[in-house]
Amino acid sequence: MAVQTPPSAVRRRVLGGGRWIPYAFVTPFVLVFLTFMLAPIVIALVNGLYSSQSSGLGFGGAETVFVGLRNYTRALADADFLVSFGRVALYGLVQVPVMMVIAAVMALLFDSALVRARRFFQFAVFLPYAVPGVIAALLWGFFYQPSVSPLVQGLRAIGIDADLLAPGTVLWSVANVSIWSNAGINMIILFSALQSLPRDTFEAARLDGAGELRIALNLKLPMIAPAVLLTTLSTVIGTLQLFNEPQVLQSITPNISSDWTPNMAIYAVSTLGRDPHLGSAMAVILGLVTLVVSLVLVRFTNSSSRGGAR
Amino acid sequence: MDAKVLSRHRVRRWTALLTTGFVAIAGLTACSSGGGGETAAGGAPAEGPVEIDFWGWVPGLEDLVETWNTENPDIQVSFHRMTGDDGQKVEAAVDAGTGPDLVQLSTHDLPDYVINGRVQDITEHVAEHESNYTAQSWASVSFDGRVYGVPQGIGPSGMMYRTDILEEHGIPVPTTWDEYLEAARALQAADPDVYIANLSPGEIGQWVQEVQQAEGSWYGIDGDAWTVGVNDEASMLVAERWQTLLDEGLVTTELMWTPEYWARVNAGDIATISYAAWFPTALAENAADTSGRWRVAAMPTNAGSDNQGDSGGAAVVVLDGAESAAAAAEFASWLNGSDETQEALITEGGLFPSTVNGLDSPALVEEQEFFGGQAINEVFIESAGNTPATWTEGPNWGTAQTAVLDEFAEVVGGSQTFAEALDNAQAATVDDLEARGLTVNE
Repeated sequence: MAVQTPPSAVRRRVLGGGRWIPYAFVTPFVLVFLTFMLAPIVIALVNGLYSSQSSGLGFGGAETVFVGLRNYTRALADADFLVSFGRVALYGLVQVPVMMVIAAVMALLFDSALVRARRFFQFAVFLPYAVPGVIAALLWGFFYQPSVSPLVQGLRAIGIDADLLAPGTVLWSVANVSIWSNAGINMIILFSALQSLPRDTFEAARLDGAGELRIALNLKLPMIAPAVLLTTLSTVIGTLQLFNEPQVLQSITPNISSDWTPNMAIYAVSTLGRDPHLGSAMAVILGLVTLVVSLVLVRFTNSSSRGGAR
Repeated sequence: MDAKVLSRHRVRRWTALLTTGFVAIAGLTACSSGGGGETAAGGAPAEGPVEIDFWGWVPGLEDLVETWNTENPDIQVSFHRMTGDDGQKVEAAVDAGTGPDLVQLSTHDLPDYVINGRVQDITEHVAEHESNYTAQSWASVSFDGRVYGVPQGIGPSGMMYRTDILEEHGIPVPTTWDEYLEAARALQAADPDVYIANLSPGEIGQWVQEVQQAEGSWYGIDGDAWTVGVNDEASMLVAERWQTLLDEGLVTTELMWTPEYWARVNAGDIATISYAAWFPTALAENAADTSGRWRVAAMPTNAGSDNQGDSGGAAVVVLDGAESAAAAAEFASWLNGSDETQEALITEGGLFPSTVNGLDSPALVEEQEFFGGQAINEVFIESAGNTPATWTEGPNWGTAQTAVLDEFAEVVGGSQTFAEALDNAQAATVDDLEARGLTVNE
């Protein structure tokens, strides 16, 4: 009889019957992950080992044959593809620190009591992030073209002849778009981390005579190290994946080639070059490089933060 | 007309990216109607009309499709206007089995589609119409004696020039490339703000028309092997010409179709533009304020030759996976070749016809206000008649074109010469063909 069932048995029955519940909760994630992450990776890995081959003039048709690692050797022998990695590395070396410094300085300013109309400025800094990357590049594209740019014409009026799309400057014009777009979101992440810090620590520091600058640099920044790592990591990965901004700006300047970044090279080979097999191999190489860079960065910061704690 | 596709890609990538959302929606609609089309097309006639899905870019096609649908209840066509990078989606869609039945395609791209089996052999459905097409346009859709598409327009060359600027400085309209160089120097000497031309490092059609004029070809067939001529003798002649103009600072180097480019055209910085018969429509649209100041003459010629060039034609092709090839081909033949459609294709579409009845159409030689009342197509008709039949399309146009344009950017940037650029692009094109298993005779 139900009334005589001991409480423990009831609990056991509920638990037993509910064993599926966690699985139900993770199922949507697992399905999406399998379909849109794992499956494409597996498909790219397999595709990269094949090639579409014809013979003679080719009008007899093409067949897909296994070629082992030949697509990989072709990709690695392509000097322009390798140069594109160098280009994003140079870009990252400048863009990542600039972006992180801007985001951190703004977050610290907003966190201190120094800024008036804080909500307005926070909103203003964050707003560009709400503009899709392609649109942002289009907007800046107008600023970069001399005949239609108030920026270039303004500089000209004060005697500075700036070519923002020249071979030597275009990389930084692209970086500018990306910093304008993404500094805001990084600022918000760092700012929320700052807001969750215990205020009494800073009070104590103030009593000990530390100034706001000292508190910001020696207390606040080290305490939000995990958030800094997170934003740095996503910025670095974003750098390696650079595509939207240069792809859009490519239509207004010849100084961005079709294989200007690794992702653009993959796109060009797969669509214009019509070789998705080679494109897959290149995508796998880019994925591996991204993985290695991320691991190195995490390992490096882990060990340095442990060193700092000691 | 490939140059047109590309130029439109550029211009559209710029303007149409603003409407990315709409494009996405249009794409979705096209996909859903594509699915419906396939199932219906496979059925017996009793089950209802055959449905054909058609992608194209020529202005005014919507109206023509509607006319067809009203007149042909058994074959219903749904049209999707191609924008942005739609052209690059076609292959993936075909391979995935979700492609349209019919698509407008540059004839430069056709061999690659044929080799990879993405288009259907429609010889038996269209052969009866051959006599209505110019020999050259028919040849551009025929491989190994089989026909893979219905020609839709060509791009014979001409030179649009600012009659007011040339007159102001007392410079005669150049008729040869030697005179052109002299005019370029005279113009710069007279007014350092005015240049004879813009050398766009992103506009392959302008390059191709001059290579063709000099009787060169990027590809050739030698027995059972391809030959590649990206750096052939004709190309080197064109390279030398533009190297001189560039080195002497006689040309601007803006990318065509950008706001910057049109600003300079409108400002009167650029005195001549050599391009295909469809370009005047674009010029009138983007430089409306300069109306009445332009005229069209034949593109300057090489010494001892009347040759003109052609930047490329287009065709409507039946894609692999289209279940009702006969119906699709019937519509394509009507669209491109019937007496009913010629005037609309010329006036609305801005096409230069590749059909006999199109070339006879009175609409073709209408006088144009933008060009001071000149019947400009008379120039292009003559140009089409003077285009040498030496150009052969080849199997990796996309790769060759990308390689050439990337290299040209470095020429304009000053880090190499045209001759070096062509040698590099030649090597890249040959490597790519060999990687595909094709035979190349070097």
